[in-house]
Amino acid sequence: MTQALQLLIDGVLSGGSYALVALGLSLTFGSLRRLNLAYGATAMLAAYVGAWLHAQYQAPVWLVALAVVASAILTGAYVERLCFASPRVDPTQSRGLPVAGADGQEVVALASSFAIWMQLEQLAVNLLPRHLNTFPSLAAAQDWQLGELSVRPDRLLIGLAAVALTLGLAAWIERSRAGLSWRATAELRIAAHLVGMPVARLQAVGFACACALSGLAAFAVLSLDGQVTPMFGMWMLLKGLVAAMLGGLGSIRGALWGGLVLGVAESFSQELWGAQGRELCTYGLLLMVLVLPWQRLRRGPLNAGFA
Amino acid sequence: MANGLDPHTVGLLSNMSIMALLALSAYLLLLVGRISFGQQAFFGVGAYAAGILSSMFQAPIVLALGVGMAAGALLSWLLALPTMALSGLQYAVATLAVGELARIILSGWHWQVAAPHGWVGPDGIDGFREIRWLLERDVTPAHFLGWIACALLAVLVLLMRTERTRLGVALRMTGQDETLAATQGIDVIRLRLFAAAAAGALAALGGGLYAHRTTYIEPALFDPMLGVHAVGYALLGGLGSALGPLLGVVFDLGLLDATEVFHGWRMVIFGGLVALFLRWRPRGLLDERAVQWFVQLSSNKRS
Amino acid sequence: MLEIADLATAYGKIQALKGVSLTAKANQVTCLLGPNGAGKSTLMLTLAGILRPQRGSVKFEGEELVGLTPAQIVARGMALVPENRLVFPGLTVRENLLAGAYKRRDNVAIRSDIEAMFARFPRLGERQEQRAGTLSGGEQQMLAVARALMSRPRLLLMDEPSVGLAPMVVAEIFSIVRQLHQEGVSLFIVEQNAHMALKVAQHFYLMEQGSVSFSGNPGELAADELIQRAYLGQQRAQRSEP
Repeated sequence: MTQALQLLIDGVLSGGSYALVALGLSLTFGSLRRLNLAYGATAMLAAYVGAWLHAQYQAPVWLVALAVVASAILTGAYVERLCFASPRVDPTQSRGLPVAGADGQEVVALASSFAIWMQLEQLAVNLLPRHLNTFPSLAAAQDWQLGELSVRPDRLLIGLAAVALTLGLAAWIERSRAGLSWRATAELRIAAHLVGMPVARLQAVGFACACALSGLAAFAVLSLDGQVTPMFGMWMLLKGLVAAMLGGLGSIRGALWGGLVLGVAESFSQELWGAQGRELCTYGLLLMVLVLPWQRLRRGPLNAGFA
Repeated sequence: MANGLDPHTVGLLSNMSIMALLALSAYLLLLVGRISFGQQAFFGVGAYAAGILSSMFQAPIVLALGVGMAAGALLSWLLALPTMALSGLQYAVATLAVGELARIILSGWHWQVAAPHGWVGPDGIDGFREIRWLLERDVTPAHFLGWIACALLAVLVLLMRTERTRLGVALRMTGQDETLAATQGIDVIRLRLFAAAAAGALAALGGGLYAHRTTYIEPALFDPMLGVHAVGYALLGGLGSALGPLLGVVFDLGLLDATEVFHGWRMVIFGGLVALFLRWRPRGLLDERAVQWFVQLSSNKRS
Repeated sequence: MLEIADLATAYGKIQALKGVSLTAKANQVTCLLGPNGAGKSTLMLTLAGILRPQRGSVKFEGEELVGLTPAQIVARGMALVPENRLVFPGLTVRENLLAGAYKRRDNVAIRSDIEAMFARFPRLGERQEQRAGTLSGGEQQMLAVARALMSRPRLLLMDEPSVGLAPMVVAEIFSIVRQLHQEGVSLFIVEQNAHMALKVAQHFYLMEQGSVSFSGNPGELAADELIQRAYLGQQRAQRSEP
C-alpha cells in the first residue's frame, strides 16, 4: 500500500515537470491553432546556450536561467517568422459558418516547423558538440521524509510552480482584456481584425510567451538532472505533446491534468513493466487519446478550448 | 559497370537509393494529403523481417525482402485503419506515436536462434547483428548496389506508370482537394488506406535492403529524425512526380553530405530550405507545374 | 463622410471591384444594392481594411483609409458588421461585446454601453452568459450589430444584415437601423433585400459586376425595375422588357 502511495507521489511530482513542459505547446496551439514541432528543439538550443555560458564563463545560476528564457524567446521569434506568421487574412476561409480552428494552413505550418526542428537541433549540437554537457544543478541534496514516504523537494517546488503558472495563466486568459483578445483571435481571426485587435502582434506575443514558458520548463527540468544531452529536444517535444494532448491540446489547465496523468501513468507502468513498459504506456496513451471517439465528451485532443 | 566505382561512392549511392525508397514511402502519403512522421517504423519492420528470414531461416534474399514488404504493408494498413479518419494534424501526431511505439517494441524484442557463428537474431536494444546473407554468398557491395538500383528503378517505373492511370489521378486528386475528390465519387479513405499499405511496403523494402547492406541494425536507428528526413526529402524534391523525392535525397545526401563543404551545417541548410520552400513553393522543386513544363518541353521537341 | 473613388480590388484571380466610386453622406442611410457576385462584400471587406485594393482611394471624413490596418480603421470611427455575422462562437454574448470595445479604454463607459446594448436588444440581455455560437441566426445578427456599435462608430457598415433571417427578424433589424439613424449614426448598408432597404435609405447605389451602375434616391427609378435589376442585374431586366 505504501509502495502504491509512493509511486503515486512520485508520479504526481514528475507530472509537475511534464505539465510545465506541456504548457508552452498547449499555449501555442490554443492561441495560434498551430502545433509547433520545433518546440523541443527551440528549448534545447536555449538550454545549450545556458550550458555553454555555464561551461565557458562559469555564469551564475540566475544568469543561466535568464539566458535560457531569453534565447528561447529569440529563437521562437525566428520560428514564428518562418512558420507561423500569417501574412494576410483570407476571407474565403470564413464563408458560411465561422470556422474555429482548423484552416488547412495548420498542416503546412506543422511541416515547416519540423524543418526548423532539424535546423535548431543541429545548431545546438554545433554549439556544444559533446554528448554530455553539464547544466547548473539545483537538485536537492536530500529527500524529505514523511513517515515511510519520501518526497523530493526540488520536484515539489517545480510541481507547485507548474500549478501556480497554469492556474494563473488560465485565470488571466479568462478574465483580462488581453486574455480576451487572445481568445478572440484564436477563435476567429477575421472577426478579431474587425473589432480592432492587432492580430499579428497578439499572436507574436502569445508565441513569445509560449517560448518563454518552454525555456522556463527546460531550465527547471535540466536543473534537476544537472546535465543536458542532444536527446533533450526530442524528449521535450514528445513528452510535452503527450501531456498536452492528454489534457486537450490548447487547454492551459489541460496541460496540468495531462502532465499529472502522464506522470502517474509512467510511474506505475515503470514499476510494473520496466523502462520500456513505461515508454509503451506513454505512446499507447497518446495513440488512444487520438483514436478513441472523444466527440461526445467536451474535451477532445484538439478542441478543448483555451482555458 | 559497378566495379569501376570506389567503395566510398558505392556506399554513397547505396545509401541514397535506400533513402530514396524511404522518401518515396513518405511521398505516397503526401500525395494523398497526409504527413507521416512514422515511416521509419515500417523501415525498421522491413529490416527486421528480412533479416530474420535470411539469417535465421536461410531464406533467399528475394523472399526475405518480399516477406518484409508484406509485413510492412500489412502493419501500415492495420495502423492506418483507426487513424486515417483523423484530421491531418491528429494523423501526423499519431504517426509520431506509431514510430516511437515500433522502436520501443523492437528495443525489447529478443529472439535468437543458434547459428554457426553463435546466436543470431533480434537482441533488444543491442539490435540485430550478423545479417550475413550477402557475405555468405560473396556478393560484393558493388554487386549489391546493382540489385538496389534495380529495385529502385522498378519502383520508380511502377510509380511513374501509375501516374497516368485512373488510380494515379485519383490519388493525386485526393491530396489536392479531398472534398472535391469525394464529390467525384472517389472513396477517399479507402484510397488513403491503399496508399498507406503501399507506403509501408516501400519503406519495408528499403529497410530490408539496408539490413543486408550493413549486416547490423538496431532500434535506435529508427527514430523520428529518420522519418522527418524522409518527409523533408519528398517536400523539397517535389510532389509532382516520383522523381521528386529522389531529387531531395540526391540534394541532401549527394550534395550536402558528400561534399565536405557543408560539414556540420547540413541539417541547418536542408531544414531551412524545406521551410522556405513550404512558404513559397509548397509542392517542392519538382511540383506539378514543373512536371507539366518538362512534358510540354519534350512534346515540343518532338513536334 | 465616406468618399470612395475608383476602387479596384482583386479577390484571388477575380477582379471583383473594377473601379467603384460612391459617396455616403453623414447622418444618412446609404444603401448599396446589387445581385449576387456583384462585388458588394468585396467592397465592404476592402473598406474595413481586410482586403487591399490595387488602386483607388477611400476617404473617411477627409482622411485616407487605404493602406491602414483594420485596427486603425476601427480606431477612426468606422466599424463593419460582416456578412455571416462572424460572432466569436466560443465567447459569451457579454465577452463578444467587450471584444467590440477593444479599442476603447474608458472602462466605466464601456460597462454602461454594454447595459445600453442589453436595453436595446433585450434578447441579448437574457443570454448574457451564453456562448454566442449557440444563439439563433437573428440573435447572432443583433449581437454582431451590438458588437460593432460598442466601438462607438460614427459610420456603421453593414454587409447583408437580412440574409438568412426570418421576415419578422428582418423587420426588427431594419427598425434598429432606423433607430440608429435617428441617434445620429451614419449607415452604409449592403443589401439584397431591396424592398426593405429602400424603406430606410435616403440614397442608394446599384452595383453590378464590379462597378456602380446607378445612383439615386428612392422613387427616382420605378420600384419594379429597380428591384428586378437589384436581384437579377441589368441585362436580365432589359431582356424581360417587351
